[in-house]
Amino acid sequence: MDYKYIEQLLERYWVAETTEKEESILRAFFSQPDVPAHLLQYKGLFSYEQSQAEISLSDDFDEKILKKIGAAEPQIIVVRAKRQSFFRSLRPLYEAAAAIAIVAMVSYSASSYLNKQNSQSPWDYNPASYQDSYQSAQQSYKVVQDGLEMFQKTASADSTKQNNNLNSAHEE
Amino acid sequence: MQDIDFRYDLLPLKNKLFRLALRITLDSAEAEDVTSDTLIKVWNKREELKGVESIEAYCMTVCRNLALDRHEKKEAQNLSLEAYEIDATDNSFTPDEQLERDEKLRKVHELFNQLPERQRTIMQLRDIEEKSYREIATIMGVSEEVVKVTLFRARQAIRKQYDKIENYGL
Repeated sequence: MDYKYIEQLLERYWVAETTEKEESILRAFFSQPDVPAHLLQYKGLFSYEQSQAEISLSDDFDEKILKKIGAAEPQIIVVRAKRQSFFRSLRPLYEAAAAIAIVAMVSYSASSYLNKQNSQSPWDYNPASYQDSYQSAQQSYKVVQDGLEMFQKTASADSTKQNNNLNSAHEE
Repeated sequence: MQDIDFRYDLLPLKNKLFRLALRITLDSAEAEDVTSDTLIKVWNKREELKGVESIEAYCMTVCRNLALDRHEKKEAQNLSLEAYEIDATDNSFTPDEQLERDEKLRKVHELFNQLPERQRTIMQLRDIEEKSYREIATIMGVSEEVVKVTLFRARQAIRKQYDKIENYGL
């Protein structure tokens, strides 16, 4: 049998040129019982490596470490009934009622708003159909006069303020 | 990644971590402590680790650092001689009884553990745990190139010693 391939692999193994796959081929080769005499010397290395891969902790390790992190075996999940008052237990009901009320209110107001909009007549541009806001002419005159007076007051107050500002600016 | 579960995500790594710690500390009791400390440390930090790509590589890194800490402390206490003795008795602990019986395997064991820490850790990760260069680089926080070069040196050293034993029966 020709062992050229294995010898080549071994040479490449020593110079760290082998791939993971090639190294597993070497391990497999050296773990079989009939390794040729000239390669037998290296059997020890590969069988040592394989034996080392099986080293494991003692069985009580799990128990010890689980105790340390506070998750000791056996893990019993305790389910405790939560006590709550009668009114509290009805809470989902309140919430549902409130939600329904909100939806009802919104939809009612929306529909009434839309109805109102639809019922409004289009704008009347005909001056003949204009209606007076006030019953008597005197009353309407007074309202207009009051309004103008108010406007005058605020306007004059603004202008004096502006003048004062200008004056003070000049003084400085 | 989802929430880390102790039993399903961390505990299954225990033997890999133990073997790595053992390779560094060369003492099974120390290695067991390191494994347990690693798992607890990672578990306590689980909230921060949700974005970690490989929880296994992360655990291995933590494990190596903890093992190195202990190993250095021990060396600083000038207990290296004692450590060597422990190493010798350690063979009896190794679950693989073959090691005890087989003279050849015991010699390889010594050869392996005489390598500098970096070299034997890389040998452990590559030849025993069968990790890729990339994984090893991630675990050790070095480049893939450094991993390759270190592995090269380790294998060369083993070969040299090996040939010596074969030729002179040392």
